[in-house]
Order: sequence, then C-alpha cells, then structure tokens
Amino acid sequence: MNWPDLSMGGYGFYVWGSYIASLIFFVWEVVSLKQRKKALKQQQQQSSKPVSTPVLRGSINETTS
Amino acid sequence: MNIYKYASPAMFYPLAGKLIPWFAIPAALLFATGLFVGFFIAPTDFQQGDAYRIIFIHVPAAWMGMFLYVLMAIYAGIGWAFNARLSSMMASSLAITGAMFTAISLITGAFWGKPTWGTWWVWDARMTSTLILLFLYIGFISLQAAIDDARRADRAGAVLALVGVINVPIIYFSVQWWNTLHQGATIRLLQKPTIRGSMLAALLIMLAACWLYSVAVVLIRLRCIILEREQSASRFAEVGV
Repeated sequence: MNWPDLSMGGYGFYVWGSYIASLIFFVWEVVSLKQRKKALKQQQQQSSKPVSTPVLRGSINETTS
Repeated sequence: MNIYKYASPAMFYPLAGKLIPWFAIPAALLFATGLFVGFFIAPTDFQQGDAYRIIFIHVPAAWMGMFLYVLMAIYAGIGWAFNARLSSMMASSLAITGAMFTAISLITGAFWGKPTWGTWWVWDARMTSTLILLFLYIGFISLQAAIDDARRADRAGAVLALVGVINVPIIYFSVQWWNTLHQGATIRLLQKPTIRGSMLAALLIMLAACWLYSVAVVLIRLRCIILEREQSASRFAEVGV
C-alpha cells in the first residue's frame, strides 16, 4: 500500500474534479429518488384518509344573508 | 413456483423491495474497495502520471451508459411488442440512471482530456457519439414526460429507444472506424489486457460497483413508477374517466 500524493503529481484539479463531479451526480440521483419516494408516501397517506362529509355549500350563507 | 407472476407490477413490487439491499450494500462496499485499490495500490502510470486514475470512474461510467441504453431498448421493445407494462416501466426507470452515467463519462472524460490532450472537448467520433447517446436518453425521458397516457408514452419511447440503439455500436467501434483522438480499447474480451493487474482490478471492481448501484437505484425508481401509475390509475377510476 502506498499513500497517494494528494496533489496527484500536479493533476489534482483534474483527478479530484472528476471524482467530485461524479459524486455530485450519484448523490443527486439518490437524493432525488428519496424525495420522489417521500412525495409518493405523502400522497398515499392523503388519499387513504377517510373522506370528510361534504359541507353543503351555501346552506348557511343563504339563511343568514 | 411460478416466476411469471412477477411480470405483474403488483407482484413485483414487494420482491423488488426485498432485492434492493442485496445490491445497495455490496455496491457501497465495492465502491470503497475499488477506490482504495485505485488510489492506494495501483501505481502511477509512467506516461500519464496520476491523471490516469480518472479512468477508474470514467471507463465504468462509459460502459454503463452504453450497456444501460441497450438494456433500456430491450425492455422498451419487449414492453411494446408484448404489451408488458412492467417491462416498459423498467425501461423508464433505466433511462435516468443511464443518462447519469453517460453524463459522468463525458464530464470525467473532459477532466482527463484537458491535461492529457490539452483540450476539454473535441468533436471527435467517440465523444460526439457519446454526446448523442446522452441526447437520446434525454429525448426518451422528455418524450415520456410529455405524453400523459402512460401506455402511449411507453410506445413512443420504445420507438425512440429502438431506433437510437444503432448509436451504441457506433460509439463502441468509433475508435477503430475513424481516426480519432480517443485511445483504443485497453481491455478486450479475447486478448490479454494491456494494463497492469492492480489497475485492471480497480477498474473491474468499480465496474461491478456501478453495476450493483444501477440495479439498486433502478429497482427503487421502478417501485416509485409502479406506485405512481397505480395512483394515477385509481384517481382516474375515482372520477370515472
């Protein structure tokens, strides 16, 4: 095992740049998938809620006005 | 056991959920191992210095970009020909990961090209055809997003995916067919690779990691797509469309 030279023999910007760019892509994909899953779960919870009894629109207003 | 029952999205959904950790955990371990071998064990290249270490992500990403496209076209084609919903959903799920790997291969290729060729980009056969691959992926994704009816979107996507598959052999053989700046293949199936053992090991471990990663994320996305389509179908049913 040999410890890598962090400056990569003068190529540090290119080597680390490419790995950081790749990491950003991987993280973006995983995070966006997590958000997609989360949004779906929220939607499911909303749709599984019991439907509240519909309010008869205008019934109160008509009598009070 | 009847394996064909898993062709139904509802049956496949729980199976996919069980499979995901079996791919995600080994993927993380292999990424760590591949990077360790690539940076701590593989020696510095006598021609390219340490800049060559970019290939440990560049080459697997480029292979995955091409391979996932072929896989996407096959799934889209099966979905279209046999009216298999799950197969079409698989194609949609593969597209984003394939596009991501193609983008990584282009960007890391630019990072490699600047110090070794002296330029970020040239309109060379391999790079241009890889850029076209990225556009094909983007075209497939946006075409599907533009059509509301999921099954019609699947069919339109399948036509695009199948026509675009011609680009993959063009990318692969571009370095032989045209006089290009991009170097030829170092690793061939039937010949001894012209690369040192530890370098090859790092490359292959990273490839395996990218593979496992792809399976894991594609399955997670497939589960989302199954749920999304199911929800929109039940919503249509509720309003009586």
